[in-house]
Amino acid sequence: MSKALEDIGLIENPEQRCACVLLLDTSGSMSEAPIAALNEGLRVLHDTLSTDSVASRRVEVAIVTFDSAVKVVQNFTTVDQFQPPTLGASGNTSMGAGIEKALDLITERKRAYVAHGITYFRPWIFMITDGAPTDSTETARLRIKDEEARKGVAFFAVGVDSADMAKLQEISVREPKKLRGLEFKELFVWLSRSMQRASQAQPDDQIGLQATGWSTV
Amino acid sequence: MIGASIQGSGHERLAVPCQDAHSWAITEQGVLLAAIADGAGSAQYAEKGAARAVEGAVHYLRDRLDSGTPTDSEGYSQLVSEAFRHARLAVEQEASNHESPVRDFASTLLIAVATDKIAAVGQIGDGAIVIGDDEDNVMALTRPEHGEYINETVFLTGPQALSQIQTNIWIGKPRYVSLFSDGLQMLALKMPEGTPHPPFFRPLFRFIAETSDTLSGREDLSSFLFSPRIRSRTDDDLTLLVCAHVD
Repeated sequence: MSKALEDIGLIENPEQRCACVLLLDTSGSMSEAPIAALNEGLRVLHDTLSTDSVASRRVEVAIVTFDSAVKVVQNFTTVDQFQPPTLGASGNTSMGAGIEKALDLITERKRAYVAHGITYFRPWIFMITDGAPTDSTETARLRIKDEEARKGVAFFAVGVDSADMAKLQEISVREPKKLRGLEFKELFVWLSRSMQRASQAQPDDQIGLQATGWSTV
Repeated sequence: MIGASIQGSGHERLAVPCQDAHSWAITEQGVLLAAIADGAGSAQYAEKGAARAVEGAVHYLRDRLDSGTPTDSEGYSQLVSEAFRHARLAVEQEASNHESPVRDFASTLLIAVATDKIAAVGQIGDGAIVIGDDEDNVMALTRPEHGEYINETVFLTGPQALSQIQTNIWIGKPRYVSLFSDGLQMLALKMPEGTPHPPFFRPLFRFIAETSDTLSGREDLSSFLFSPRIRSRTDDDLTLLVCAHVD
C-alpha cells in the first residue's frame, strides 16, 4: 500500500450508543424458579454481548425492577462495565410506575447523549412480567403510545407463565409475546442478538420482535 | 480520478451484495462529474437503485454539459438539482421495469461537479463531500443528514427527496474532491458536527496527487478500505471516490 495511505489518521468519535432498559417484574410470584431463570438469563445476556466487540461498546443496559416499589438496580452502562445482578422477588406488581421510571431514564439518557455529542440509535424498553399490574398503568400506556408514535422509544413486552396478556396488549403498541415455559435463557440469547443487530443497524433498518425460538404462538 | 466501492464485513456475513455504487466522468472541457450512492440496507434492490442513481446523474450531467457549461453559480446550482431529478427518474424507470415499488430501490445520492473555478455539490442522505485546496485547507461542502437516530436518513426515493437536497456552491479552485458513504463518516468526520478530520484527508489527498496509474491506485485504495484498522471500526459497505485536479 502507498505510504500516504498508511499515514491516514482515523478520528475517534464517541461510539454510537444503543440504550436498552430491562424492565423486570420482581414481584412475589416471580420467586424461586422464575427469578432464578431470570438471573441466569441476565448472565447469558452479558456473556453473549461481551463476545461482540462492537456491541459491547455500543449497547448500554439499564435494569429497572418493579415489585411493591420501583428500583433502578443498574443505571445505563456499556456491556464491558455491566455486572449482572442477582435479583430477589417479593411483593406487588407496580408495573405502571416501573414503565414510567424506564421512560424517564431514557429521556435523561438521550439528553446526556446530545449534551456530549454522542450519536445514538432508537432506545429500547424490554419488559418481562408474570403477573398483572397492581397499580394504575394508564399514564404509562399513554406515554408509551406517544413515544412509539414519535419513534422516541421501542417498547417490547414479554409475558411469563400466568401473565395478564390482555393487559399487556393494552399497554404495548407492539404485540406482546408469551414466553414458553421458563425459557429465559433462549429469550436473552435472542435479545442479545437483537441488540447486536440494532447497535450496528444501517439506515432504514427496521426493528421488531421477529423470529423467536422462545415464545409460544 | 480514483474510486473504490467495497463490500462491508457485516454485509458479507448476511450475504447481501455490496449496495454502494459510484460513477464519474471528465468532460471534454475538463469538468469533473462524480456521484456515489449507498443503497438502503432494508431495500430489496438497493444495489440496483444505487447503480441507476449514479449512472442517471452522471449521464445527465455529461449530456447537459456537452451543450455548454453554466456561466454563473446559479446555473451550477440548477445543474446539480436537475442531476438529482434525472437520477430519480432513472431509479423510477428501473423500478417500473421490475414492476416493484420505488422504495425497494432506495439509496442515498451525492453529486459533485467541479472545474478549476467552482465546486457545485448536492447530497440526499448521509455520507459527505469534502474538498481540499492548494493551501492545504480541508473543507466539508456537505454533511451527513440523519434524524434523531444515527441510522435514520433520507433517500433519493423518498416522497419529499427532491426538496431535501443539501446543495452547496464553493467558489475557488478545488484541488481535491472526495465523496464518501456513511461507512466512512465515523472515521473521517468529527460527529455529530460533520467537520472533516484533516489527518484523514491530507494524506488521502497526497496519495491521489502522487498516483499516476489509476488502476494500481484503485487497488491501493481498495486495500486501504479493506485494511484491518478500517475493518475493525466499521462493517458497513464503504465507498470512497477521490479526485485530484491536474494542471
